[in-house]
Amino acid sequence: MRSSASFTAVVLLALGASACATFETRETKLQAVKTVGIISAIGDEITFAKGGLTGLNNRSQSFPIAAWGLDDLIVQQATTALSGRFQVQPVSYNRTAFAAIKDSPIAPANLVRGDPFKKLVQAEVSPQGLDAYIVIARARSNFGASTRKLEGIGFVTYGTMMESYDQIHALYEIRVFDGKTFDVIEKMAAPPLDDGGQVAIAGPSRRIDGISPTDAGNPAQSERLHAAIADLVARSLSRTLSDMHLADVR
Amino acid sequence: MHNTVPTHARRRRHGSKTHASRSSTLRGIGLTGLLLAPSIATAGEPLFTLPAPPFELPVLPPVSGSWTVMVGVGGEYKPDFEGANRAMLSPVPIFAIRRAGSTEQFRGPRDSSSIAVVDFGDLRAGPAAKFVSSRKASNYSELNGLGDISTTVELGGFIEYYPVDWFRTRGELRQGIGGHHGVVADLSADFIVPIIQRLTISAGPRFTWESTNATAPYFGIDAAQALASGLPAYDAKGGPHSVGAGAQVSYRINPQWEVHAYVEYERLLGDAANSPLVTLRGSPNQTTFGIGASYAFDFKIR
Repeated sequence: MRSSASFTAVVLLALGASACATFETRETKLQAVKTVGIISAIGDEITFAKGGLTGLNNRSQSFPIAAWGLDDLIVQQATTALSGRFQVQPVSYNRTAFAAIKDSPIAPANLVRGDPFKKLVQAEVSPQGLDAYIVIARARSNFGASTRKLEGIGFVTYGTMMESYDQIHALYEIRVFDGKTFDVIEKMAAPPLDDGGQVAIAGPSRRIDGISPTDAGNPAQSERLHAAIADLVARSLSRTLSDMHLADVR
Repeated sequence: MHNTVPTHARRRRHGSKTHASRSSTLRGIGLTGLLLAPSIATAGEPLFTLPAPPFELPVLPPVSGSWTVMVGVGGEYKPDFEGANRAMLSPVPIFAIRRAGSTEQFRGPRDSSSIAVVDFGDLRAGPAAKFVSSRKASNYSELNGLGDISTTVELGGFIEYYPVDWFRTRGELRQGIGGHHGVVADLSADFIVPIIQRLTISAGPRFTWESTNATAPYFGIDAAQALASGLPAYDAKGGPHSVGAGAQVSYRINPQWEVHAYVEYERLLGDAANSPLVTLRGSPNQTTFGIGASYAFDFKIR
């Protein structure tokens, strides 16, 4: 009984010590950050998917949209939003390498390997030596109550027996890396906006009408779709940076 | 793994008293939520904001951000015990917490509590657990002389596969600890049909296999029990245990309110169906009806 109590006390002390250490990571480290670089790698392709009541062949299709320049837009808008608090410096990076990072479908593997962007920020970003690096990368979400995974920029059609809905989404996460240790100081997935789409997605989305992906041929040529996605990204980026207390831009 | 901790409490007979130890607390939360519901938060607006936690464990996802809590209450009309021919209505608490914006994943009324640690989207697997309430002989006259069976926790795993969004197959394999020490396997399939975006109907077949150690405590009758109960002695072996079908309907009234109803029918098979407890004092036909209402609200952690 006594040894059990001692063990509990040791565990509590260890947790307390680690709590103090991580508390410093979250708040104090952000206060010490002066110079930041911004990396964005969410916008090189758009995925078209179908959910709900679909045909037997409901595989998703992806199209390149690098020409839309979404990542440049994101860096530009984040720079504007963060300039009030930080000194934002331009950085160069291997966008393809950042965009290629994907979570493992085996959850314990993600826990064991740690943050996959850490090594990339160390190796693929220049200049090094800034206080922090902000990485904006694709995130995933389930589509409604189904197990279908949506990721990054996309257009999804939800079919029911009586009707169907078209919805666009921009799912991304923002990480703040310490520029010296490359540990993650802060991390948040962009939350849904108030005017989210009909079907719940754990990220920015909204209903869109009048665009038929099957008619469009190459969706990257649809100016309406481009404009709608850019608007969604811009509005959600402001909110997410505000929620992370990196910028007061709401 | 999602940041979702489902503790939805729709259960078949085996799990009829799932979360019993905390049901009063959850019921209190649920009723409070239901009472407050009409006067609070619209969709997307957090009801309240909590301060950031003083620390975060590096191996766990951060808790900062918006969360959705779902509370509710339901009722389940189910057999008094497995094999009984009488049923009773009992309250069922509903509680779930998940990241804001996401929707609770489809789950069948018979599903065990589970977490997907392997998640390919269409293929998911992970640990599963089910709480099987105790069976007290003093509670029902049909069980007089048969003795008590204590509570069982069944631990194991699940795997489910969605060839398309509207069709789910699921299997569970669990080992009992406590009241029985046998192995239970559940197989099910569900067609999940959204009629409109707010209204979903699902239905499909069920099958359960149980080992001898899982069947005998509930359906076997030894010499002493035979003498005390007046039933003939019976040696219950394992094997196919039940076959049946289930259906449920859920309707989302608005982003906050959702109501659901379900029915699960199973017919006992093999030695369970042939047990004197069932043939002389019960029924092999087991039907469960359930209804429930839940309310969801958001809160935020800085």
